[in-house]
Amino acid sequence: MSEYIVEMCHITKRFPGIVANDDVTIRIRRGEVYALLGENGAGKSTLMSMLFGMYEPDRGDILINGRKVTFHSSTDAAAENIGMVHQHFKLVDNYTIAENIVLGTEPMKKLLGLFPSVDMKKANEEISELSKRYGLEVNPTDRIEDVPVSVRQRVEILKMLYRKAEIMIFDEPTAVLTPQEIDFLLSIIDSLRKDGKTIILITHKMEEIKRIADRCAILRRGKLIDVRPVADTSIQEMANMMVGRQVNFKQDKKAASFGETILSVNHMTVKNEHHFDVVKDVTFEVRKGEIFAIAGVSGNGQTEIADAIAGLMKISSGTVTLDGKDMTDTSIRVRAQSGISYIPEDRQGTGVVMDFTLRDNLALRKYYREPFSGNGILNFEMFKGYADKLIERYDIRSGEGAKTFVRSMSGGNQQKAIVGREIEEHAKLIIFVQPTRGLDIGAIENIHSHILAERDRGAAILLISLELDEIMKLADTIGVIYSGRILKIAPADEMSSEDVGRYMMGVKEA
Amino acid sequence: MTKVFTDGLSFAMPLLIMAVGAIYSEKSGVTNLAIEGFQGFGAFIGALLAVLLMNVMGEGSQAVIYLAMLGAAVGGGVYACLHALLCIKFRANQVISGVVVNILAVALTTFFTSAANTAINKTLSNKLILGVSKRFTVPVLSKIPAVGGFFTNMYPFELIIIVLVIFFWYLMYRTRFGMMLRACGENPQAVDAAGGDVEKTRWIAVIISGALSGIGGICFAYSLLANFSPSIYLGYGYLAIAAMIFGNWNINTTALVCLIFGLAKSGGYQLCIAMKLPSNYSDLFLMLPYVLTMLLLIFFSKKNHPPKAAGEPWDKGKR
Repeated sequence: MSEYIVEMCHITKRFPGIVANDDVTIRIRRGEVYALLGENGAGKSTLMSMLFGMYEPDRGDILINGRKVTFHSSTDAAAENIGMVHQHFKLVDNYTIAENIVLGTEPMKKLLGLFPSVDMKKANEEISELSKRYGLEVNPTDRIEDVPVSVRQRVEILKMLYRKAEIMIFDEPTAVLTPQEIDFLLSIIDSLRKDGKTIILITHKMEEIKRIADRCAILRRGKLIDVRPVADTSIQEMANMMVGRQVNFKQDKKAASFGETILSVNHMTVKNEHHFDVVKDVTFEVRKGEIFAIAGVSGNGQTEIADAIAGLMKISSGTVTLDGKDMTDTSIRVRAQSGISYIPEDRQGTGVVMDFTLRDNLALRKYYREPFSGNGILNFEMFKGYADKLIERYDIRSGEGAKTFVRSMSGGNQQKAIVGREIEEHAKLIIFVQPTRGLDIGAIENIHSHILAERDRGAAILLISLELDEIMKLADTIGVIYSGRILKIAPADEMSSEDVGRYMMGVKEA
Repeated sequence: MTKVFTDGLSFAMPLLIMAVGAIYSEKSGVTNLAIEGFQGFGAFIGALLAVLLMNVMGEGSQAVIYLAMLGAAVGGGVYACLHALLCIKFRANQVISGVVVNILAVALTTFFTSAANTAINKTLSNKLILGVSKRFTVPVLSKIPAVGGFFTNMYPFELIIIVLVIFFWYLMYRTRFGMMLRACGENPQAVDAAGGDVEKTRWIAVIISGALSGIGGICFAYSLLANFSPSIYLGYGYLAIAAMIFGNWNINTTALVCLIFGLAKSGGYQLCIAMKLPSNYSDLFLMLPYVLTMLLLIFFSKKNHPPKAAGEPWDKGKR
């Protein structure tokens, strides 16, 4: 038997316009946890998608147990006992857990001894037994749409186990989990390793690699930089290799000096379109020069708080006041002009108009006012000058400058454009929702420094993020939301990330 | 009263088989407004076959009807490939494709009907005259008061449709193929990851949709008109789609909705006769199913769960 269970030799994969993998060679030993570290777009997921048969390499060979293989589809990969948990779970929402796991390999029975039909009863029993054996408790008959993200991930892991995968690929598995859930997942990965499985972990979080991985391959812009044993490599070294320069972990954060209250939310309740209370009786204040961060697991009402303050959703009871003025029932434009800036979660849907140019997008907050327009006629000279100014000030990179269509820009630069546009309003309150989701380290550093600079200027900042690291790094005050209620509000230096994590799970007293 | 049930069922059954066709297509993730066109083109092929066969087998032959149904299924299935090609292979907008396929069906069948008449019958006509389908009455069951009407004067095709619907129900909800198909309409990525072939599944689903619509079309041609002409495009394809929507894309509930539509139509017509209204009022009563449609839309459309991925082209390489 070959020493290596998986060998990917001289793999090159091109997509129109980019080389996703450039002559990458990795060799993975049986029974190890092998991490792939790299920024977004470094080519980690593409490389693993080829191992899982989703794409075929343009050049290079894949060897399993020393034998050359060619995968045309994930079925071929599954036949070699390779399984993958994708970053975006591949689950059918209105199917049960068991139906999702057995899809395509259902146990069959003969109906009336004649017609082949799917035997769900047997499937449910098999899943129930499998989940107990690996400590991944699930109820096979629950529907996916009714269970939380962490359970969905268990379903994906069970799916691999059901298909008897020996090589398991995890694509950014911790991105959606709370600290406690991450601990649980890492312990599961550890027990899978003890069970003899080979694990490949795609991530950009160095701490996890340190905790669980044996070896780590670092990718940058499609190229393999190095493969290191994790035990002999520091987090700083990994980060430097990943980014290609010295990374500064400590953001220079000055001590906060709070002023008067800018935003005050009193007993606010918000209903969603199904008339269901998604935000329940929420009360908090944000002061001048303060970053107030709301932490919580996705879907607990945090986005709705931001939407309600910005005016995108109606407040069904309670009040919102900005700098002493009641904003509860005012229009979005009144709120914007009174000093609320909003960087929304859905940047492509709400933040920009994808098929407008960068120039027009940057003017979206100003186009109707002097000097951007007069007597209803737009002044495009003004647009252009303003756009060029912002492009330089916020380092927005695009193919053709101000006349680039936003659709063709990278996510990081789209976000820089939104942040620049909103900051330039010099608002009293700036709401950031998931400001760095999906961005690479460089863009994250850029956005974070802008957030801190605005705080130091004296803006009140409401930050809503699913990334606990981001909250711990930036916040002055943390509010933890669970199931539409804010369970705890405390100064950031009085709570550890474990404390926050416990509240995120709905535990009342930490 | 008996007649209400008799006519109701003979209207509901072709509607149901078309609705089942629509469900197959949409559950696999291909929005299908082309049912109307499928049924028309399928019915045309079936009718053409019937006209040709009647020359050989004689005017009164009942076997011609079954062969015409088979022909309509094949014709509808082949014509559906156009919709599949546009939506699946070329990833066109599925709504536009459906509308285009419908318009094209009207144009093609109108042209070919007169061309066929010129060639075969040496007459200028836009109708293909079909034979008359025999009807039968089930003993015992037909004696039940009122509901016995369901079993009185039945067309043989009604039985065939019932068998087909049961078969396609089983295929959809009890087999591996059916599970794959429904998953394709909800999350094709999941199917792909599980080793299924999304494009192939959708192709099969759209072809099934065309074949079943063709059968529905030829049955309407036999039961309502006894001929094929462009007047077959009466909007019943859209009514089948409406039935699918109220049936929440579920074959069982859709069957119930089709029956209600059928009874509303025949009931309205009989009511018009019973009230001794002039015949031009009957058109007013024939609107009943559509008025019912609008009312049901208001009450039920909120609770519906259409297949999540319907209307979205599947692109495997999408990143």
